[in-house]
Amino acid sequence: MRKAIHKTLVIAFVAALIVGCTAKGEDPGTEFSPQMYHSTAYEPLSQVVDESQGDWLDSNPEDGHGEFYNSNPYNAHGMTMREPVEGTVRRGKYLPYRIAKDSVAQAAGLINPYEGNPDIIPQGKALYDRFCDHCHGANGEGDGLVGKVLLGIPKYNVGATKELPAGHIFHVITHGIRRMGAHGSQLSEDERWKIVSYVQTLQNQ
Amino acid sequence: MPKPYHLVAICMAIFFSTPVLLGQESDSSVVETDSAVMVNDTDDVFDPNVVSAGKELFDNQCAVCHQMTKRVVGPALAGISDRLEEEWLITWIRNSQQLIGSGDEYANQIFNDYSKLTMQAFDLSDSEIKSILTYIKSETANGSAVEDVVAVSSTTSVSVPQEDGFFTAVVVMIIFSGFLILVLLILIRSVITKHKKEKHFNEHGGSVIDLNAKEVSFLKSNAFLGLVVFIFTAIALKTLIDGAFSIGVQQGYQPTQPINYSHKVHAGDFEIDCNYCHTGVKKSRSANIPSPNICMNCHTDIKNVGGQDGISPEISKIYAAVDYNPDTREYGTNTKPIEWVRVHNLPDLAYFNHSQHVDVAEMECQTCHGPIQEMDVVYQYSNLTMGWCINCHRETDVNTKGNGYYDNLVELHNEKSKEPMKVEDIGGLECAKCHY
Repeated sequence: MRKAIHKTLVIAFVAALIVGCTAKGEDPGTEFSPQMYHSTAYEPLSQVVDESQGDWLDSNPEDGHGEFYNSNPYNAHGMTMREPVEGTVRRGKYLPYRIAKDSVAQAAGLINPYEGNPDIIPQGKALYDRFCDHCHGANGEGDGLVGKVLLGIPKYNVGATKELPAGHIFHVITHGIRRMGAHGSQLSEDERWKIVSYVQTLQNQ
Repeated sequence: MPKPYHLVAICMAIFFSTPVLLGQESDSSVVETDSAVMVNDTDDVFDPNVVSAGKELFDNQCAVCHQMTKRVVGPALAGISDRLEEEWLITWIRNSQQLIGSGDEYANQIFNDYSKLTMQAFDLSDSEIKSILTYIKSETANGSAVEDVVAVSSTTSVSVPQEDGFFTAVVVMIIFSGFLILVLLILIRSVITKHKKEKHFNEHGGSVIDLNAKEVSFLKSNAFLGLVVFIFTAIALKTLIDGAFSIGVQQGYQPTQPINYSHKVHAGDFEIDCNYCHTGVKKSRSANIPSPNICMNCHTDIKNVGGQDGISPEISKIYAAVDYNPDTREYGTNTKPIEWVRVHNLPDLAYFNHSQHVDVAEMECQTCHGPIQEMDVVYQYSNLTMGWCINCHRETDVNTKGNGYYDNLVELHNEKSKEPMKVEDIGGLECAKCHY
């Protein structure tokens, strides 16, 4: 009986030790094979600035920092991610949109590549629901949940807003206007034109 | 001791009377709102036709930025005709920027006072603008009534009684269930005492002491000790095995972030779509941590939480990161990144692509990330182990609807099998799909 109790106590002790390895709260837990978890190459969405991280299992001490250090000393703040070089052009369908933020009148003449294409409306609506709805409201009445806090969001189908041309809407999504922020970094030009198509149906409702 | 049925009767009475009380409460708030609106409609001084035309124009075109007695985006407009000439107002409403450009002193002053926010130009006729001004005059004349409407129609004052009602209901429910438990306990106790009394009577008083002596000898018996050791060992082993499987699994990891950002407020209360900030989720491998320019789309103007004045210390951390001055609405060049702590650390040996799951398979974010719209601080919800991935790939039907890419695959699959096509049928279990 004594032996059985001793065995049990040993098992309980080991169990308690191992339970301590579990992730909880601030503690990510123990890694099983850390070298397989941590990338040696630069990881754009993670960064380890502390050079001593992973000292205890360093496989190449000659580089002067621990195994887990992942940070590019040549970038500002040691970031592993960089903004594109100014003036570079993304490969794809459209040339970059060059009309400056202040020249909204210039944009009025732009033509929507999806002009008169009703098949694109559902896609525009899907994008509108994800990117515009929370301020402008489901029907473009400025009554979205965030819009009610932000205030000052015009209805699409009233007064001067009703008459705004496609190019103007595209420009405003890209650069923002008055209190609305620029959404060019969140939406491709193609997506912006799809939203324009849908917003124009809301103007005429 | 009170009789149990009396207690039950009292509880029932309390319980059934509450809905009546609650109903009265919510009714009274409705009555208040109605009466306030009624007061507002009494007006004889101004031509009612002009006022109603002005009201319509005001509600559609001005109300988004202006209220009568409260500064919103633009100034409060009550008494505006006493402060400024009608001619000036007409020029301003038609094209405020032109008036500012012409060097008009007051125009420039008001422009600067309101953080250089441009008021949009309105293509309205003289008579339309005059009707709006008449409407504002009539509202100014009803000053007190306007205040009432503002106070009553604001969401907080109406919702408070409802919350009170809910609270009362919960309290009553708790009291009621407490009473029920009490009654049950009393009943059980009385049954036991009755039983004991009978036993005592039968065994002539010695039974209780005998029973205790038996209990002690039973506790010392080998059989009992063996059973205890067995149960303890089983629990310890189970803990050990569970613990061993949790090594390298970060489920439950909930690090403190540099900004006290709440997904519950943004995605839950305000229903902002995940994709609005996590822009890569339908386009690339990573969902992306949003850059602060996306925060600034709303937080240039939303400077504090819960409608409080001033700047919240958490939001000022965004301003510091993008070097933004909320007073001048201008950005500097001294920017620095916000160092968020990564929550989901998939090992470097495994490849995962968000767009394949979210865009192609049209999966909800919550399937893997859990109730993120209820989390103030994000934690890792799923265990993200290989077994977990594989299991889902075995169970999940491929979303082939409206996707031409899958047409031939579905045709071939249907020739061989009557089951719907699972992810494992198109190579979802192949090693090199995720490890290469």
